[in-house]
Amino acid sequence: MTSIPLRAIAYTLIKELMLTFLLLLGVSFIIFAILYAAPGDQFNILLEGQLPTEAARAGIRDAMGVAQSWYGQYFSWLLGVLSGNFGTSVRTGLPVAGELINVSLNTLYLTLGSMVVTLLFAIPVALYSCVRGHVVAVGWSLTMLGYIISALPVFWLGYIAIYISIHVFGIFPLVSMGNPSQSNAWLSTLVPILVLGLGSGTLSEVIRSLREELSRVMAEDYVRTARAKGASVWRHAFKEGMLIPVTEIIAAKIPFILGGAVIVEQIFNWPGMGRMAWQAAQDRDFSVIMGITLVAATFVRLGSLLQRIICTAVNPHQANE
Amino acid sequence: MAVLATQPLLKIENLRTYFYARSKHSFIRAVDGVSLEVGHSETVGVVGESGSGKSIAAMSVMGLISNGPGVIGGSIRFTGRRVQRDLLEGLDKFVNVKERHGRVMVVNKDEAGWQKASERQMKNLRGKEIAMIFQNPRASLNPYITVGEQLTEAVQLHTLYKTRKEASDRALYWLEQVKIDSPRLRFNSYPADLSGGMCQRAMIAMALSSEPALLIADEPTTGLDATIQSKIVNLLEELKSETGISTLLISHDISVISRLADRVAVMYGGAVVEYGQSKLVLGEDASIKHPYTAALLASVPSEQQIRDKASLQTIEGDVLDTINVPAGCRFYARCNQITPEINEKCASHHPELREISPGHQVRCWRFSN
Repeated sequence: MTSIPLRAIAYTLIKELMLTFLLLLGVSFIIFAILYAAPGDQFNILLEGQLPTEAARAGIRDAMGVAQSWYGQYFSWLLGVLSGNFGTSVRTGLPVAGELINVSLNTLYLTLGSMVVTLLFAIPVALYSCVRGHVVAVGWSLTMLGYIISALPVFWLGYIAIYISIHVFGIFPLVSMGNPSQSNAWLSTLVPILVLGLGSGTLSEVIRSLREELSRVMAEDYVRTARAKGASVWRHAFKEGMLIPVTEIIAAKIPFILGGAVIVEQIFNWPGMGRMAWQAAQDRDFSVIMGITLVAATFVRLGSLLQRIICTAVNPHQANE
Repeated sequence: MAVLATQPLLKIENLRTYFYARSKHSFIRAVDGVSLEVGHSETVGVVGESGSGKSIAAMSVMGLISNGPGVIGGSIRFTGRRVQRDLLEGLDKFVNVKERHGRVMVVNKDEAGWQKASERQMKNLRGKEIAMIFQNPRASLNPYITVGEQLTEAVQLHTLYKTRKEASDRALYWLEQVKIDSPRLRFNSYPADLSGGMCQRAMIAMALSSEPALLIADEPTTGLDATIQSKIVNLLEELKSETGISTLLISHDISVISRLADRVAVMYGGAVVEYGQSKLVLGEDASIKHPYTAALLASVPSEQQIRDKASLQTIEGDVLDTINVPAGCRFYARCNQITPEINEKCASHHPELREISPGHQVRCWRFSN
């Protein structure tokens, strides 16, 4: 095979990482500004049930050493993050960092799993309707099925999936991730993954764009050359017709899937970032929200980083453009 | 070996390749009964205007037609040293053609079955015995793979140089053969780094690397600069004398054809209208030519005409649209040599390809007696 262009990849990597750093800085600032401007603050939760007098608030602030000005708060948070300290949750009093690692791994499992489900459904359908374009009936009905599934709202699909898995299969898919006593615990995690993978509204789009890219590439002159020289058409069409579109889709769909994950995590009681963010938003738990936002932004960036690196590895020209 | 002596390398008989124009509910008769022969170590040029079906005929030989219904009949007999085979043998059972008054009315074709059987028939043949180069060489090379890698793949697929090292050495040898400058550098380049002329040289190297018996060159110089064009033609000329490879050369450029071809077939409206020795078909004497050939030759300006800045001579009318094929001669509407005696025949009957002198065939009523 062609040697992998390491220099071009390293160049892309450095460029992208620098961009990522700037992006995360910007995101954290914007989120902080929104939180600061929003009514209510985290001390309400501590003073719940008590009369929130200004004097009591000020006392708590002083006791916790929170800076008064908004920039003071932001910079003390930023300095903490740069040294690895994401602050403590107001609700639980635990450090945010450890919690974040747990929930983000759970969410990663959910989103990556659902991505795999989407692709496992979409790639064969796209391949089939591209190669066997003349057998319209099968390709068309599979594509229509994709559209219909995509059109179903994910929260509804989630409840239906719970209903069916309890009443038909006798498994209780509400999460048992931290509960190893059940031997087939991982089985019930499949239900939310399937729901998110099929129902997040991206399925039909993925099928359509994969099919169109593949058909376009199969009509390229160089694929005709491959046929004329008796070589494998797939070997030649794979990079442009499959690898690049798939990574592009992964990169583009991560934000949507993370958004869908919030709902699915609520429905299935999945201990992930989405559920935690929801809870933290209720509590105005600033350090948790900031931490989750940063992790989510990092996921999105990693997706596009992956895409850029694969593009560069496949075609070193693009790095120079 | 006796077979080799008597049989031409490639014998196309009555090839028909149709497409279906959905909007017009009718067939495009892109190739309509073409018969051609390419002898051993011979270059046959196919010339004609755009849309005359010459490229489609070449693609049909390679089995590269992917639009329906595609090839619907005929035979393509290949008689190489290693392989003797009819490329369309046994494929007719996938096609059901209904004709009325000699015209195809309905075609039922099992595309999947045809494709599968055709792929089987073309195996060990495509790329190995018959290689093809195309117009627009830059788009014809895979932009994601280095030139050397693409050549090495062809060598590994079709020759006895199976290990990577042997194959890439052989690929480099072929890059040197086509006189690409600094072949070692180009070997590791991507096609985007090469000029159009270099890409065509690489394509030629790739085609020849499997040492095929037949090279199909489909408009190999179209889309290149004029100076590069003549260099590519020079290269093809040299390779022809060095390797003695048989070539089916398709071009609308008469100067390219006249430099390279031993025999010439002139195509018009999906059919061969004249076929014979290059010097007869493209020669001076207009009286022994098909009117279309004569008009085609007249439309190429001579050096004198260029110097005088004389206006170019064109052929009146448009290229025959192969959807509404007339009952009579296909060139009838544009012909300037119809005499009152043959007018009726020209308008109502399609002439046959008739031998007017040994090895020189013309499809015209002028030569009917």
